[in-house]
Amino acid sequence: MKPSPESPAPAIEPEIETAHAEEFVEHLRRVTDTLPPRINIDAESVEQGLAKLVLTLIELIRRLLEKQAVRRMEGGDLAPEQIEELGLALMKLEEKMLELKEQFGLAEEDLNLDLGPIGKLI
Amino acid sequence: MFYVYCLSDEVTAEMLDGARGVAGCEPRLIEFDGISAVVSEFAETNIPVTREHVLAHERVVSRVLSHTTPLPFRFGTLAGHERLESYVVSQKSSLSLALERVRGAVEMSVKIIWNVEEAGQRAVELEAEAVAKVAATAGAGTKFLLEKRRAIACDELLKERAERLQNWLEKAVNDVVKEAFVQMEPAEKLFLAASHLVSREKLADYRARVEKARGELPELHFLTSGPWAPYSFSSLFS
Repeated sequence: MKPSPESPAPAIEPEIETAHAEEFVEHLRRVTDTLPPRINIDAESVEQGLAKLVLTLIELIRRLLEKQAVRRMEGGDLAPEQIEELGLALMKLEEKMLELKEQFGLAEEDLNLDLGPIGKLI
Repeated sequence: MFYVYCLSDEVTAEMLDGARGVAGCEPRLIEFDGISAVVSEFAETNIPVTREHVLAHERVVSRVLSHTTPLPFRFGTLAGHERLESYVVSQKSSLSLALERVRGAVEMSVKIIWNVEEAGQRAVELEAEAVAKVAATAGAGTKFLLEKRRAIACDELLKERAERLQNWLEKAVNDVVKEAFVQMEPAEKLFLAASHLVSREKLADYRARVEKARGELPELHFLTSGPWAPYSFSSLFS
């Protein structure tokens, strides 16, 4: 049903209200710095996207392993030597991930997937 | 190629009189079986994200919004006539439902910043005490896990606090909001971003509720904005 010309919807102007503009501007600046300069799809960005996807999944698994290790440590499942060994292994895994991220030119915040209404993967 | 702004079953050509869109082109309507797309000519196959282009997009969508509530496309949506027609015709019933969902309503936004260090401080203190007891003799691997435990405890505390604040905000505006879409990132300073679908006739009441809520928690920093076209409640081309 089209709006009647005799009773059109009132004109509305968006307003922005805050007493802390600098903080929100700083946040938005960080967000816009990560936006691509053009909206485009080409072979190079598809390859980069694939690297991001694979490393994101590895990062997810790595973090889950860390959480599981912490739970086991808290639960008293592990002897002190086992805690040390597990911690060293996870530390090396974290270092390897840092190397891979550097190799692909990815920052920590790049390794995530936005699942829309469900939220972010990590 | 067209630059596509929004879809509506109530928009008329008169509503766009004098409007200027992306690249200075005049927006117009293309109707497909009762649903009109607001478009303008665009020669390129991709569009630079510039202030000028983004504002032009917003200008056209706002022009339509001032008369009726459209389903807005995200910035940068380009389509040829055939693709656009195919999309609208094949999605007619879900688009009609989506238009009905947002009819007579607008999107309002609430973003909240908190002091993340203060919010997680207690967990940090508790963990620091626990870590200090063992850290002196612990090996590198054990220290690594203890630090992870501290970080996890802090994250969990932040998440719990963020969820309490989300519930508090929801309670404040619940009966003046048709729908809400909330994103939370407890580890960030800007930890909560809420989009509210609000009927136009309830806007004043909504604004008053949000203003009251701001006053209840002065340690939080709010940014409220709107009304906007319902970007968070449209999923065009998804």
